[in-house]
This record gives sequence, C-alpha cells and structure tokens, in this order.
Amino acid sequence: MEILGYLSQGFALAMTPLNLVWLVLGAIMGTVLGMLPGLGPTTGIALLLPLTFTMTPDTALITMCAVYYGAMFGGSRSSILLNVPGDGAAVAACFDGYPLAKKGLAESALAMSAIASFIGGLLSTIAFVLMAVPVARFALRFGPPEYFTLMIFALAATASISKEAIVKGFISLTLGLMISTIGMDYQSGVLRFTFGIMELQTGIDFIIVIIGIYGLGEVFINFEKLAVKGPGVELKKKFGRIWITMEQWKRSWLPILRQTPVGFLIGVLPGAGGTIAALMAYNNEKQISKHPEEFGEGAIEGLAAPEAANNAASVGALIPMMTLGVPGSGTTAIMLGALMILGLQPGPLLFQQHADVAWAVIASMFLGNVVCAIINIPLAGVLVRVLAVPPRILYPLIVGLAFVGVYTINFSTVDLTLLMIFGVVGYLMKKFKIPTAPLILAVVIGQSMEQSYRMSMMLSDGQLGIFFRTGICNTLLVLAVLSVIWPFYSDWRKKKKAGTIKK
Amino acid sequence: MKKLLTLVIFAMVLSFGVAAFAADYPSRPFEFISPGGAGGGWDTTIRLTAKVLAEEGIVTQPMPVINKPGGGGGVGLAYLQKKKADPYTVIVYSPPLLLINLSGQTKLSYKDTTPIAMLINDYGAFAVPKDSPYKTINDVMEAMKKDPKSVKFGGASSPGSMDHLQFLQVAKAAGVKNLKELPYIAFQEGSLAALMGGHIDLLSTGMAETVGPMEAGDIRVLAITAPQRVEEGPLAQIPTVMEEGIDTAFINWRGIFGPAEMPDYAVKYLEDSLAQMVKTDGWDEVCTKNGWTRAFMGSADFKAFLDKTNTEYKDLLTEIGLYKGE
Repeated sequence: MEILGYLSQGFALAMTPLNLVWLVLGAIMGTVLGMLPGLGPTTGIALLLPLTFTMTPDTALITMCAVYYGAMFGGSRSSILLNVPGDGAAVAACFDGYPLAKKGLAESALAMSAIASFIGGLLSTIAFVLMAVPVARFALRFGPPEYFTLMIFALAATASISKEAIVKGFISLTLGLMISTIGMDYQSGVLRFTFGIMELQTGIDFIIVIIGIYGLGEVFINFEKLAVKGPGVELKKKFGRIWITMEQWKRSWLPILRQTPVGFLIGVLPGAGGTIAALMAYNNEKQISKHPEEFGEGAIEGLAAPEAANNAASVGALIPMMTLGVPGSGTTAIMLGALMILGLQPGPLLFQQHADVAWAVIASMFLGNVVCAIINIPLAGVLVRVLAVPPRILYPLIVGLAFVGVYTINFSTVDLTLLMIFGVVGYLMKKFKIPTAPLILAVVIGQSMEQSYRMSMMLSDGQLGIFFRTGICNTLLVLAVLSVIWPFYSDWRKKKKAGTIKK
Repeated sequence: MKKLLTLVIFAMVLSFGVAAFAADYPSRPFEFISPGGAGGGWDTTIRLTAKVLAEEGIVTQPMPVINKPGGGGGVGLAYLQKKKADPYTVIVYSPPLLLINLSGQTKLSYKDTTPIAMLINDYGAFAVPKDSPYKTINDVMEAMKKDPKSVKFGGASSPGSMDHLQFLQVAKAAGVKNLKELPYIAFQEGSLAALMGGHIDLLSTGMAETVGPMEAGDIRVLAITAPQRVEEGPLAQIPTVMEEGIDTAFINWRGIFGPAEMPDYAVKYLEDSLAQMVKTDGWDEVCTKNGWTRAFMGSADFKAFLDKTNTEYKDLLTEIGLYKGE
C-alpha cells in the first residue's frame, strides 16, 4: 500500500503545530465568510493571498483549502436560519432548511447540514486519494457539446420538479435565462442589454440575484406580514441540543451516500461547481423520493442531500487543479496563481516533484473536515439564537449584511441597484407563488449553456449532430428526457393504483 | 493697484503652494488600483510592485491596493477619470487598455491616462494536444492557408482581445489570408482542459499557463511570440515564431499609469521610484517566480510605445472587422 505510506507522511507534515493552527484558523475564517451573504471562499482566499506569500507552500495550500471547504460548511447556516444563502452552493439548503427552522427544528437542520457536509467531504477526500487521476482524465472528455447536454439535463430536471406548477416553473426558468444573456457575448464580443452601463458588460453575478431574491425578497415578505398582522410573531425562546434524531438519520443516510458521488463528479468538471451539484442533488432526491410532496415543506433529506453534494463538489474541484494544473473555478484559479508565486507548479508533476506538499494537503483535508464539523456544531448552538432576535432588529440587519456582501463582490454601486431590483422580483415571485429554483439554476448555468452551444456550433461548422457525438452526450440527453417524463409517469401510476383500489 | 497687488499675492501663494506640495510629496498614502479581480495578472503585478517598493524602502507612504474589476478593465478606467490630476492615484494596465477602446467597449482610451513606466513583458504561446498532427507552427499556418476553417483555435478571452489578436498577428505575418474566417472559440473557463481533451486544435494563451501541462507531456507548445528565446526553464526549448520564419512578435506588456493630467513632479517621483525598484534583488526574485521578463521603460518612451502599438492593434482589428472606435 504505497498510498498509505504517502498519506501517513502527509499526516505527519500536516500535523505540525504551525500547519494545524493555520488549518483551524482557515476553517474558522471560511465558515464565518461562508455564512455572510455575498462573501464566500473566493473573497476569503483573495484576502489571504498577501499573507500566503510569506508562508511555506504546504502551509499556504493547507490554509487556502481550509478556507475553501470551511465556506461550504458555513454557507448553509444563514440559508437555514434566515432563508438567505451565504453563497451559491447554499441555495438548495434554503428549500428545506428554512421550512425546518420555521417548524421549530432549526437545531436538527443545523446539525444535519454539518453532518451531511462532513460525510460528503470525508467520502470525497477518500475518493480523491483513490482515483484523482482517472477521474481528472475522465473530466477532460467533457468538451462544449458535453457541457451543453449536461446543462440541458440540469435544466430539465429543475423545471420538472416544479410539476405542480409547470407553467410557473417555466416562467421562472425563462426569466433566469433572460437575465443570463445580459453582458458581453463571449463568442462575438457584442454587448447585449447593457444600456451603456459598463458594469453590466461582464454580466450580472449570480450571487446578487440569489441574495436579492432570497435575502431581500424574504425581508420584504416579512415586512408585509408584520404590517398586516402586527408584531405578533412568536419568537423562539427555548433552544434544544444541536443534534439529530434517529428517525431523521434514517431518512437521510441513503440520500447523503447517493448524492455524494454526484457532487464529487460535478465538482471535478471545470466550470460546473458547487451550485449545480447542490441543485442537482436536491432534484434527484425529490424525484426518487416516495413522498416528494414533503420536499420544500421541510424534508430533512432535502437538506442533507445537497449539503453532502456541495462539499463533495468542493473537494472534487481541487482535482483538476492539483492533478492537471487546470483551474476548475474562480477560487481554484486564484489558488493556482498563488501556488505559482510560491514556486510550485501544480499539475501531474506536483506529485513527483513536491510529493510531500501534495500529500500533506490531502491529509489536511481529512483533518479539515473533522475540524469544520467540530467548529460547526457548537457554533450552531450560538447561531441558532438568531431566531430569538425580534424582526425589527433582525431584518434591518439582514438588509445591511446583504448590501455589504454584494458590494464586496465587485466594489460597484451598480450591483446595489441590481440587488434592490432582484429584491422586488423575489418579493413578487413569492407573492404569486412562482418557484424560484428554476430561475436561480438558469441564471447560474444560462451563460455557459449558451456559450457551450455556440462553441459546439463553431466546432462542427453548424452541424447539430455534434450533440450526439459521444456516449456522454447521449446518456445526458436520455436522462434529460427521462427526468421530464418521470414525474408525470409516477403521478399517472399513483392515480392508476388509486383508481384500481376504488373499484 | 490694489487689484494688481492681490493678483501678485495670489500668484505668489499659488506658486508657493504648488512648490510646497511638490517638495513634501508624497505626504499621504497612495491609492493603488487593480482594474481586475484579486489573484489575476493585474492584481498580482500591482500588489507585488507595492510590496517591493515598501520592502526596499523606496516609497515610505502606505500603498494600499483596491480592486475595481469589470468591463475588461473599463470600470477601473472610468474610476480613474474621477481622479484626474490626482498625484496619489496609480493603476496597472496591459494591452486590454488599448483593446477595450478599439473594440468599442468604452470611449475612454489610454489617452485618458498618464503612462508612468512599463515594468514587465510576458509573451503568448501556441499549444496543441499531445497527439496533434501539427508538429510546427508552420504546419498550422499551411493548413489554415488551404482551408481557413480547418484549425479550430481557442483562447481564454473574447474575440478581438489578446489571445485572439496574438494568433492573428502571427497568422497575418505568415501570409494567411481571410483572417476574418478563422474560427476562434472564446472560453471563459477551462480553455486548457478543452485543449488537453482534444476538443480544440490549438490554444492561444500565455506562456506561464502552458508550463505545467507541457512538462507533464499533455500538450506540446509549438511556438512562443517572444522576440527571443526564454533563457532558462522548460520554455527555453520552445522556438519563437521568428525562428520559425514568421517575422513578428507579440508582447503582453504591463505598466503603471496615473490619471490624466497627473502633475509632472508626481510622474517624475513615481518613474524614478520604479526605475530604482527594478534594480533591486526583491524585484528580481518576484520576476523569476512569476516568469516575467523585465522590461523597464520610462514615461516618455512608454507613451511613444503605446502610440505605435495602438496603431498596430487598430490595423489588425480593422482587418477582422472588429474595430469599432472612431
């Protein structure tokens, strides 16, 4: 077992006091930044960048990785407690996490999210050790046509989970796709819908859309409730232990195990990332669930599955960077840059030339997941007290945080205007019961879906046949069709069963 | 008489004021701007410049760096206009400063800045998948001459920007006609992965990006756009396009700018400080680590260089129909 030898050496290096201190600090910093709307791993690592110039390569990399997955743990805290996702990957945690908190089960929701994150992170770190290289090679087979079909599958699955309101689902989806067309068209260089506003040239950051629709939208809805019903909102006064029940675990363990590989594989694909992983995991579980009607009303497995998947994705995203020297996301691109400044060349040779560093980082991922879980359980006990804060204090605070968070993305006031617009959009969508998930997914993937279509067309000189060129494409297309048909089919079967019983 | 006296006093106060201002300059902190996000090329350049200036004790005032990303650098340029004549504002730029104006993304141009000094050069590289039929850059050019659509090439920036232009400039010098018809595929993320997976035939990118995958044998680098070979490291084996018989070079220059109408004393101070900085060991180390080629050029030369370069870019963009300036 050559690997075990490397790994134990890695643990030895990762457990030096200095590395442990930075690991814990990084994990705490990531958790806190992840919690705050708008601030995420990218901001955290960018902030740390000047500091890492003075560190040794192993410490620098361990710290940056800790911030990265710490943010994945932290991101869902505010989703569950306030319905304001800390970052894109935590959107799916709103769907069932917030209803759980409303039902008075905030403690279980917070605990479940930490446990699911821990398991997702741990299992995918093991997968990293065992099969990083073959997985990275497989990811290379994804070219523009494969990406396009993947996005089609993701959209089809999301539109179909809102089958109760399929027309509203499609309205939401279309709106999202429209938002994603704003900005420069990457293939022709033409500016679209920017109205001469330079800040719009790079498009609208999806974090702004998320914080506007969920954060501000939620605040506006609550303002209305307070105005109509008066301040008679009952606040949570008693707080239980941060832990889950056996029954909740029984419902969640299988979804966690099922969706971890999904998250891991999507994370490995350059450019896909945690948000898509989490949304897909949620959709998958809703579709195979025996009681899909509970999803969105506080189904614990609807929280556990995306939480496991987004942590798995964050580990997966490190694979192309470490094994191929190819950055898969904004965050890993910054990490790659930092490594090069430190004199390390990420890529296949990293494991030959700097095996000690590479294995120390992998070992630190095991330790980091444990540290994050340990930090998050007691932290949740403090955070859950947020529910005891009266609305007239809490909501202005959320608004303040949302504005600060959005401003830090681009340091631009145009984004603040956009935030307000999306706040109103979010309010109206909630008011008219239009599902928000299709819009969010469309905004997240709309641009790369369009671009991968256009790139495919350029590669094939305009032949549509390119979308059927590989097994990957065909499988994804079949899955897309199935995911649209499946909810209707299972509905029909249920009705048929009910019908035969009546007879 | 009284009027004249007032005028004289006013003039004296004014000149004294300016002199005093210039004499104890710099007397407050600078504002260093990166027109791109944290961790990118611009950001790294200006942060490391500030770091070396401070560590070597050349500039003692604080030089905090702020990010003004967006619009391919246009947002930073617009922000700079609010700081007109301010002696304390400093920004970093590279070819996109010219290109965003020429392609019509912004009306502002390099003429709305004060060039202070060019610091470094970087060069482009053309890479193919390891099993590509193209062995030299000339193989690619021959294929393109036969059928302009036969080689799908990509880059990590939009059409009309650096990755696209550096290849077109070489193709033009090699005698490829119909530059407009060459299929350029713009990736935002994952351009290197697309090359390694064989989804595109050629990638036009920066030199540093190719080193890792090249050493691992996943890609082959056909040529670099530098005027002469890289002296050391893995790239030293790669020929320049000139050596391959194509008479051109494409330089990705990076330099430091001030706002328009920056006072002369400030330009002089910063130019001298940077000239001193590039001679330090600290700067040497930074350049080696990042693979930058040192290429210092003072304010006047830099201005002339920009004028010349702007015309070259403009001609190239006009040829492919992407020139939208006026």
